[in-house]
Amino acid sequence: MKARGLLSGAYVALVLGFLMLPVAVVVLASFSTTSFLTIPPQGVTLRWYGRVLESPEYLHAIRVSLSLAAAATVGALAIGTAASYALVRRVVPGRTLVASLVMSPLVFPGLVIGVALLQLYAALGMAGSFVGLWLAHMVITVPYVIRTTLASLAGLDAELEDAACTLGATRLSAFMLVTLPLLRPGLAAGGLFAFITSFDNVPVSIFLTGVASTTLPVKIFTAIEFGVDPSVAAISSLLILATGLTLLLAERWIGFSRFT
Amino acid sequence: MAERRQDPTALLLLLPLSLLLLAAFVLPVAGLVPTSLRPYIAGRGIGEGWTLQHYVLALTDAFYLEVLARTIGLGLTVTMLTLLIGYPLAYILARSTSPFRHWLTLLVIFPMLLNLVVRTFGWIALLARRGLVNQWLIGLGITDEPIRLMFNFTGLLIGLTHIFLPVMVLVLLAVIQNIPVDVEDAAATLGASRVNVFANVVLPMSAPGILAGSILVFVLTVSALVTPRLLGGPTYKVVSTLVYEQFLQLLNWPAGSALALLMTAIVLLLLWLGARLARRWEAGA
Repeated sequence: MKARGLLSGAYVALVLGFLMLPVAVVVLASFSTTSFLTIPPQGVTLRWYGRVLESPEYLHAIRVSLSLAAAATVGALAIGTAASYALVRRVVPGRTLVASLVMSPLVFPGLVIGVALLQLYAALGMAGSFVGLWLAHMVITVPYVIRTTLASLAGLDAELEDAACTLGATRLSAFMLVTLPLLRPGLAAGGLFAFITSFDNVPVSIFLTGVASTTLPVKIFTAIEFGVDPSVAAISSLLILATGLTLLLAERWIGFSRFT
Repeated sequence: MAERRQDPTALLLLLPLSLLLLAAFVLPVAGLVPTSLRPYIAGRGIGEGWTLQHYVLALTDAFYLEVLARTIGLGLTVTMLTLLIGYPLAYILARSTSPFRHWLTLLVIFPMLLNLVVRTFGWIALLARRGLVNQWLIGLGITDEPIRLMFNFTGLLIGLTHIFLPVMVLVLLAVIQNIPVDVEDAAATLGASRVNVFANVVLPMSAPGILAGSILVFVLTVSALVTPRLLGGPTYKVVSTLVYEQFLQLLNWPAGSALALLMTAIVLLLLWLGARLARRWEAGA
């Protein structure tokens, strides 16, 4: 019995080690004084972090990514919640078809959406525009919102709203004052997934970004294509730190693992 | 539970989402179809008239067929590897009573949330010619010359398996968690050996998860762009990097559209087959 436990433990450690290996390597590389990585590192420096945080290009890309992710999340929450509400609480013709269509961007190849929109935006003269990116990012983030809000709504009794209406509330205020607050955990989880999905995206964004609208992951992607240098490791390490903190806080506040 | 209400607000609530999906997803993707049927004129782009040449080329030319076979081969191998590595992990996590279990699960989720470019960059540092793996191998005296671990099948296989392993583990974990431990105990009490319990109870009961996870990982692998492009470089190509190249570098949109639609067809066919199989199992169970 004990031997089996040890074996299991060793296996888990091995696989998790494999999963964490490249992450650890990136962090180590960001402190390395040499332009390529050696273990043990030959020297420790914070120079690459300084270079990234002083680079107007990286700072601009961070700003673009944050505003894009925020705008896409807000948009996806609004239209996604409205649609979920209709799907759960109202009679919708062709309900299954609509539900599977709205979830399809989850498995549909991102780069096909990217090239399709590249062609459309080029024809409309809106290539490289922020609005174009925003629409694309809503398409890929809205399924996450719908998935969590559908689950939350299904767990709520529709009679709560009816009761509020009987007591004199309008439909809208019943929704705002009764249903919406009860949906908060689902909205938070869906919104967080949406934000991360938008912030991380490359396969769609890469076809749609212009010089002024380059997102952070697209900027890192192009930087690597031009040749690896340690400032890529530094900005990557900052992303690792941000992702780790987000995961911990999300786990604390909304019990993230429930929604994956 | 109240009845679903029937009133026109339903359509109003669905309108913004429907418009978005129509304008920024369905119609643009459909718009690739006519483009894929246009001839390409070097230097000028899309020509006049109609042609099937891009599809014919993609399905008969030796180079394109090799890339297509490589893409599907990668998809199958990555799916198999993630399943083989991921199943034991998912099973151990699902049955674990350890107080650290929750943290271990978070360690599986963390790499999945981490940016794809960042994860792939880590593999470049490991697999490059002067990368860590080669330094270790030479240091240990296993090889004198650096081994080629990037810009080939091995590199893409390692990178993509790493990227999609958490996806597989989480799908399997959700399914295995729902198999009551009592069922396993009952089979063991009735005299079944460990191997028997696994083969006749756990494995069949987790089959829907295996199917769902495998299809998901296959679909994600064949449509992955970032990892194949960064670990395969401009020389070692898969279908998605060909599409990328046709659209952004060669500006041959007709050929790019045809390849993109071909990939979409493979993905949709697989999803459809998976859904059919799942439905048949449900009906049989």
